[in-house]
Amino acid sequence: MNQWLDERLHLSRLNDKFLRKAFPVHHSFFLGEITLFSLIILILTGILLALAYEPSNSMIVNSFDPGTADKPNLIPAAYHSALKINAMPFGDMLRRIHHWTANIMIAAAVVHMMRIYFTGAFKKPREINWWIGLLLLIFAVFTAVTGYALPYDNYAYNTLKVIYGIVASIPWVGEWVSQAAFAGRFPGEGIIPRVYGYHIMLLPAILIALTGAHLLIMIKQKHTQPQYAKRIAYKKIVGVPLLTQQTPIMLLLALLFAAIIVLFSAFIPVHPVEFFGPPSTTPINNIKPDWYLLWVFGALAIIPSFEFNFLGGVIGSEFTGAMILPTIIVLALFAVPMLDRSRENMYYAENPTNHPVRLAAGIAFLALLIVWSVAGYKPELISANILTTANANTILWIATFLVPALAYFATLGIVRGIRALRESDERDRAAFSHADD
Amino acid sequence: MTRYKRQDPEITRRKFINVAVGTTAAVGGVSLLSTLGTANPVFILTPDKMPPLKGDILVHAGGDTEGQPVRISELSTKLVRAWPMGKDKQGQSVIRKGDPNNLLVVYRFPQGQLVPPTNIQATIEGQTVAYSDICTHAGCSVGDNDQGPGMKCPCHSGQYDPTHGCIVIGGPPPRKLAQLPIAAQGENIVVTDFFLTMPYPYIHESEWEAFKKTVEEQLT
Repeated sequence: MNQWLDERLHLSRLNDKFLRKAFPVHHSFFLGEITLFSLIILILTGILLALAYEPSNSMIVNSFDPGTADKPNLIPAAYHSALKINAMPFGDMLRRIHHWTANIMIAAAVVHMMRIYFTGAFKKPREINWWIGLLLLIFAVFTAVTGYALPYDNYAYNTLKVIYGIVASIPWVGEWVSQAAFAGRFPGEGIIPRVYGYHIMLLPAILIALTGAHLLIMIKQKHTQPQYAKRIAYKKIVGVPLLTQQTPIMLLLALLFAAIIVLFSAFIPVHPVEFFGPPSTTPINNIKPDWYLLWVFGALAIIPSFEFNFLGGVIGSEFTGAMILPTIIVLALFAVPMLDRSRENMYYAENPTNHPVRLAAGIAFLALLIVWSVAGYKPELISANILTTANANTILWIATFLVPALAYFATLGIVRGIRALRESDERDRAAFSHADD
Repeated sequence: MTRYKRQDPEITRRKFINVAVGTTAAVGGVSLLSTLGTANPVFILTPDKMPPLKGDILVHAGGDTEGQPVRISELSTKLVRAWPMGKDKQGQSVIRKGDPNNLLVVYRFPQGQLVPPTNIQATIEGQTVAYSDICTHAGCSVGDNDQGPGMKCPCHSGQYDPTHGCIVIGGPPPRKLAQLPIAAQGENIVVTDFFLTMPYPYIHESEWEAFKKTVEEQLT
């Protein structure tokens, strides 16, 4: 049969080209795979959820608590279908798996990106894949956000309202853009069908296309080789082939990963729609976005109030905090392969301590995002008497500049220490090497 | 690149194809852009989406008493959320909650606590006052402050002082909450005019004025 297929599909060529692709043997190379497995789990659970979900914000009678004939208990159809999914056998579990996987996918993508950054794997010839990877991260976040709007509970409603407000804060065109994006003035009759379209069609299609491009380019360019490959066989590709050695490792990892997610989902609830209740006029106290957007939220919470007119457009704190600031951060990430480049093609992953400035800049960047994420907990910090209403903004603004600066110089110091130790080690070895003779 | 460029008086095949493809792409792109127009549905101003209007009665916005008129005697310094309730063309009562930005908040402070910049004429006996409950920052509904006096927005910690005309006393909001002029009608609260300043989501005074005009035109 092999021969029969080979004569028609040229399997041996496929085998040589793709299935023998060498995978470096190092645990940090599994981070990208975990992101890919997450996407697959998300698509599978997403299809199952879509079969039971009703994408509509029309008001219907709550079948679980219909109220009375003259005062029926009306809730949005989307929220009602979320309640029905929860009542299905393993329905709540399905929602939790979907939600947990989304969180883990973004976490894995971020850690994967950190690995690429700290080892310099974004350098020539892999700049394009760094950019595609960033687009993947951005669209993954968009997909996640549109996803947690879909149950249309009070949390989703408030989130959507804030997102609508942020889009509308763009000077000159904001009002039109947010109405076009969310099907009319908030909350238009078509808002849930519209967001549903984004979440199950547009954004997943973009994600799948970008993932395909990301992987194809990776196969074409090969992985960066870990340092040990340089010692074993210089300028040769070292690793295990996809078929048959890497495949069982992958399957094992995928199953283990799926098992961990199911375990998480079984014990740690996420987005409890019954707790938030249907959309209402009562705000949720201390509402927060998911962790990967907490830094934007924190920046919005500490940005002072201001507003000015510029050529007829209004530029306010909301636009600056939620649009300009993240754009600057994202542009900085896009610029990474331009700021730190190599003239030659890069084959080997670099030791981060040999590039102290890049390492320190990366850590300072993460420190900044962490400070802003902590700023997202401003109300809690005030409640816990760690900060007061009067000094919270000042202290958090000082931390915004101080903590990244400290992280930067501390990293440089530690790296210098490590290198000094390494050099003295080498001196010792050189000094006593004659003893071995 | 060839070193010597052939001087050809006639248009080359390549040039023709390039120009043709470019034109087609441009025309196609523009025509695809026009389909974006369908993304933004037409806004129809129905009575339930109109702002609080003269003659509207304030009704409770949540809880067991939802839809029942707000009584002056039950108010206190804790915030009470309300919707304006008016009449549609057929004279049927309609609660104007089609636009969530119509959400209002009503307080009753002891005499003398309400001070300017609150418009005292627009309150009931200098005690009962109504504001828009929508934060001017990102449009969340503002609640009681659990960490001090006044109001706090749960979204990005914007703070307002309802005794001083709901001016911003903390956080990122750019403007105070709009005050709604009210009067007593027995125990009920009745709206006497439009918001005194522009409420959320308006950011240009001219847009708010234009919207008021549209509403007035539709009412007559």
